[in-house]
Amino acid sequence: MNDRALRIAGAAVVVLVCIWAGARLYIMRVPEPGGIAVPAGRAGAPDPSDAVRPGSENTDPAWPHPKVPARLPDFSLSDLAGQPTPIMRWSGKSLVINFWATWCAPCRREIPLLESLALEWAGRDITVVGIAVDYRDKVVDFAREFKIDYPLLIGEQDALEVAAKFGMDSPAFPFTVFTDRRGEVVALIVGELHRPQADLILSVVQNLNRNLLQLPEAKRAIADGLAAIPTNRAG
Amino acid sequence: MKRQTAALATTLLLLLGAPAASAKPWWMRGVDSNETDFLPPDVAFRVAARVEGDLIRIRWVIADGYYLYRQKIEVRPESPDLQVQAPQLPKGLMKTDPYLGTQEIYTQQVEVTVPYTRFDYGAHPIQIKVTYQGCAEAGLCYPPITKVVFPAAAITPAAASTASHPWEWMAIFAGVLAFLLAGLVLRKGRKLDIPA
Repeated sequence: MNDRALRIAGAAVVVLVCIWAGARLYIMRVPEPGGIAVPAGRAGAPDPSDAVRPGSENTDPAWPHPKVPARLPDFSLSDLAGQPTPIMRWSGKSLVINFWATWCAPCRREIPLLESLALEWAGRDITVVGIAVDYRDKVVDFAREFKIDYPLLIGEQDALEVAAKFGMDSPAFPFTVFTDRRGEVVALIVGELHRPQADLILSVVQNLNRNLLQLPEAKRAIADGLAAIPTNRAG
Repeated sequence: MKRQTAALATTLLLLLGAPAASAKPWWMRGVDSNETDFLPPDVAFRVAARVEGDLIRIRWVIADGYYLYRQKIEVRPESPDLQVQAPQLPKGLMKTDPYLGTQEIYTQQVEVTVPYTRFDYGAHPIQIKVTYQGCAEAGLCYPPITKVVFPAAAITPAAASTASHPWEWMAIFAGVLAFLLAGLVLRKGRKLDIPA
């Protein structure tokens, strides 16, 4: 390689280094596109993420307003042992399906009530099923500690998808779904469930199951009955 | 049996004698009443931020009957070349729940300050990512909420930190070195023609 070629190569290297240095300085001064990257939240604890810009907030005064399905949707989630369990396993029974999470105080407070409901109504074809939207290991430990006897299903994203099937796209916890033995969704209660609410709804469900009521009457009875129950839901 | 009988009687009484069904949706009590409404999370916990000097101030306005957990508040940088320190959280109220233990919470409003450093000479708008989680006293908990927040205030010269990014010095040094090398390469083999 002669001297001239060496000089050309050297000059080329210099030019490339200058281009790199200039580009680096330019990149540091030019803002990146304004797209907002919103990472997925922790699985099992969904993040209804959004960017805070004027008008971006969800200020809907009637929130949440789930589009409750008429009938129990078909789905399957893992049980405590990790076995896939279709909800239709309890086909023919009335269900009290409670969505909860271990980090949620009112969900924890509900558990003794759900346990007693499970016991009281076990002989009358009403089954309590918990759906934990949470990490499996946390739920397993919690269930062991609190000695939860009723069936538990567990999921993260898959459980969120199940919640969405009940119209709870941006769920808050707890919420509880009541069905009759035909799989009709009779009520969905958002927030902590209390004994008077549960007794009222389950008595109506029982009358539905005995064909003493039709579904529209049952729904009306629940709406009016709940309205008559004094509000006492201090947390 | 007694409970069932009472419940059946209640149901029949409601069906026969109750006033006409209210306008509320059948499936949710109080969703349209002021008594027991649950607010959307963006209304229950309004968050905004502003820049003051070398601090970002993040404020939550918390609706009556709602609270935020102190230990669930996190702040991370979102814009490039931004570093934030741990948020300085004021003392909260101690709330004891028999099923969740004692937690420190905020009600009404809380302001958190976050010291920050920029390495971009104000090239990028400041963006931070805040995570928080709270509940309604009436028995509802919202999952952790993560939002990208754009602090409101314009960047003052003081706020645009003079801290420099290590890459910048490297780029300047490389540029100077490149010119030096270019001079040396081009000079090589040439005799200086200095006039007498």
